[in-house]
Amino acid sequence: MTAGSLNQRSRVGEWLLFYTLSVIGALVLSAILVEATGGDWRPVVSALLDGSLRRPGRWGETLGTAAPMLLVAIGTIISSKAGLINIGQEGQLFVGAAFATYFGFLIGGPGPINVVFILIFGAIGGALWAGVAALLKYWRGVPEVLSTLLLVSVGGQVVAYGLSKTWILLAPLADRGNRNQVSTQLAKNNRLPRPEIFGNEVPFAVLIGVILAVIVSLALSRTVWGFKLRMLGRNPRAAQRSGVAQTRYGAGALMLSGGFAGLAGAAMLAGGGFAFGNYQLVPGFATNIGWTGLLVALVAREKALVAIPVAFVFAGLRTGSSFVGATGVEGRITDVIQGLLVLALLIPPAVMFIRDRKRAEALATDRV
Amino acid sequence: MSSGSLDKAGAGSSEPVPAVVFRNITKTFGAVTACDGVDLAIQRGRIHGILGENGAGKSTLMKMLIGLVLPDQGSIEVDGTVRQIRSPQAAASIGIGMVHQHFSLVEPLTVWENVALGESGKLDPAAVRNRIGDVADRYGLAIEPDARVGDLTAGLRQRVEIIKCLRRDPNIVIFDEPTSVLTPEESVQLFASLRQVVAAEDRAVVLVSHKLDEVLHATDEITIMRHGRVVDHLDAGSADAPTLARGMVGREVSLRSERAALGVLDAADISEHTSSSVASDEPPVLQIQNATAKGLGGVTLLNDFSLDLRAGEIVGVAGVEGNGQRELGDLLSSLLSLHSGSVLLDGTRVPDGKSGAMARAGIGVIPEDRHDSGIVLDMTLAENLVLVDQSSVSRRGMIDGSALKDLAESMIDEFDIQCSGPDAPMWSLSGGNQQRVVLARELSQSPKVLVAAQPTRGLDVGAIEYMSQRIGAAAAAGVAVLLISSELEEILDLSHRIVVMHSGRVVGEMPRSDADLETLGLLMGGVVA
Repeated sequence: MTAGSLNQRSRVGEWLLFYTLSVIGALVLSAILVEATGGDWRPVVSALLDGSLRRPGRWGETLGTAAPMLLVAIGTIISSKAGLINIGQEGQLFVGAAFATYFGFLIGGPGPINVVFILIFGAIGGALWAGVAALLKYWRGVPEVLSTLLLVSVGGQVVAYGLSKTWILLAPLADRGNRNQVSTQLAKNNRLPRPEIFGNEVPFAVLIGVILAVIVSLALSRTVWGFKLRMLGRNPRAAQRSGVAQTRYGAGALMLSGGFAGLAGAAMLAGGGFAFGNYQLVPGFATNIGWTGLLVALVAREKALVAIPVAFVFAGLRTGSSFVGATGVEGRITDVIQGLLVLALLIPPAVMFIRDRKRAEALATDRV
Repeated sequence: MSSGSLDKAGAGSSEPVPAVVFRNITKTFGAVTACDGVDLAIQRGRIHGILGENGAGKSTLMKMLIGLVLPDQGSIEVDGTVRQIRSPQAAASIGIGMVHQHFSLVEPLTVWENVALGESGKLDPAAVRNRIGDVADRYGLAIEPDARVGDLTAGLRQRVEIIKCLRRDPNIVIFDEPTSVLTPEESVQLFASLRQVVAAEDRAVVLVSHKLDEVLHATDEITIMRHGRVVDHLDAGSADAPTLARGMVGREVSLRSERAALGVLDAADISEHTSSSVASDEPPVLQIQNATAKGLGGVTLLNDFSLDLRAGEIVGVAGVEGNGQRELGDLLSSLLSLHSGSVLLDGTRVPDGKSGAMARAGIGVIPEDRHDSGIVLDMTLAENLVLVDQSSVSRRGMIDGSALKDLAESMIDEFDIQCSGPDAPMWSLSGGNQQRVVLARELSQSPKVLVAAQPTRGLDVGAIEYMSQRIGAAAAAGVAVLLISSELEEILDLSHRIVVMHSGRVVGEMPRSDADLETLGLLMGGVVA
């Protein structure tokens, strides 16, 4: 037993060491890159911190950016637990936001109730868009990796069409001035609250995201549903024998995953904030939140609670990057830093996984 | 045997130097001895059949010749020279070629492209096509060089494999179970061209097979292997099917009485066990009726398969592997949908291929390959114990962690599972202990039917004993047991009734008391008694 706990402790140490080395490596590489492009890494770091945390109102902005990333990541975690690779969140998010816009105005009830409806319809829209991929997979055997990805472009086109017709999404002429392809702005009482805390506006969506992360984390680890989903993801044939039907649980997980992306879209629409337009739907509304959410899930490695801080870090890189431009370094350098960080956070688990398996195999063959 | 090519080595001796001589070859994989002091000589100008059951060591022996496996001990002589064959390329360079049981063809490519694969240097399509034409003419292996391999039948694909092998002009050609994917007519054609290869060109041909008929009719001499040893060597002319069958499956070993003598089983258990001839007028628990299943490309996996199973009886399904046993297990695991036919449990039809239906109806399965459908390696031991039914450890959809832990601890105790605890990841357990987890789970569901497919494969002696006892005890407690095994001893040891499978159908059925090895061997070899 003591040997076991000792082993455990040395493993945690190993993990920490691995991650630290790996992240330091990525940061050093990023610094070299900044220097190589003619900048100085110190002001860049300073600008990143200013933009994401230090300047007035910035950490609220970062939280607001993190919220939809977190929602997308939670959905991704659900589908990947079931062994499905959904990489179409960007499209599901956009379609979800379009659903939220359309039905938000269609129902148009009194304030707070309508906000709830907007969020629900956003989730439904995302779920239906992912449902197309689920249908193709279980009816015709089209791999969901392909269909979800390709449906991003299709979704973009479909919503763009909606935005060109006043009877669908386009705002009436009086509301949009001479702008094309915009929806009507959500009425003030149809928006998510943004309470002010310590001089920062904190969007309500953050709370939704954190609560859902906790719920999903529990659901996956503690419920029979989560158990079955994990079984399906890890061994589909064992699941088939045990009564976990691919079609039902797999399609369900994929649609739920799309639902979370759609919810993220609705939350962006109703949540507002500097980054996400002005409570109205425009082309390019998704602004890569879907893709970044996918990265968050990748780094969090199927753990919904880990996705919370990861989403915050990635959101910080995004909000911080808008300040980097002032240092004379190309602001998009943060995209490269983000990429390096993702790699740095993915390498240690991969290495440990391979090593653990090798050890186990060696042990198993010894014992046979 | 008057060819000049032999004389270079065999100066002066009256006996021609054999093409290949294995001397005292031994090879072990872990605890398993695949080849155990094998001596074998392969002559030119003759077809040499090597007969044996699965795991008899015949494939391992041939893999040594082709450079895929290195022997632990012993030596291989090719044309009188001791050789260390370290790779298939090395084997090819000294004139040894093999036609594998499983095709290694690229389906979207054409025949000539497949033949040209693996050649080095500049690609000359015209030359390759000509070569194919030459080989095809010489051996009567007509084929269209520009046909796409994906469009060809199994027989023609094999033809491509053979041409691939023969175009290098090998002196020694090995065929590994060549007819397993062929129709009878295709087999006849194949053997005709084999004859051609041997007679006209004085090559040595080795035919590895478990089919009595083809070994008997297509070869000149026959070596029988069993448990890694050569047990007999005879001339095809003087052999007959019963002799071969006996040689292949071995003498009957009275394992049961041996165990009784060792005190592992007590006498009462034995008499009760063997005498419990289940009354045949009792209604069957499990009925499989005319089950037919087809695989990709219309291959028949199960062919009008019917079987009745009664409570408390153990029915052994014997047969050489690959004759539908895996599919039978899959069918009863809801992993296979039938083309026609049905499965009935207590007279009620259980839908085939419907997720979880068989398990819910009360069919427990110890699968042939536990990693395939028996366990989830990335879940914990405790979780693996409740894969099929979580009702005992959950309330209102929530899993009760402490109930799960208690259940796991009691199972670990009862089934003596060696592990670091209930939360140990399944992959950290050894094979034998993983098998115990499967057994524990399936038995704890109190099944009506227990399907045990190759339940003792890869286990050590103690674990085998344990497994056999558990299966016997389950039957004694009234479970109907279907024991699918390629180990004849295991079947004879445990079953009350034996059915033999061949080509996806039942070819014979007999009570244990009437079973004799010769009949079983003939049936397994596809010779209908």
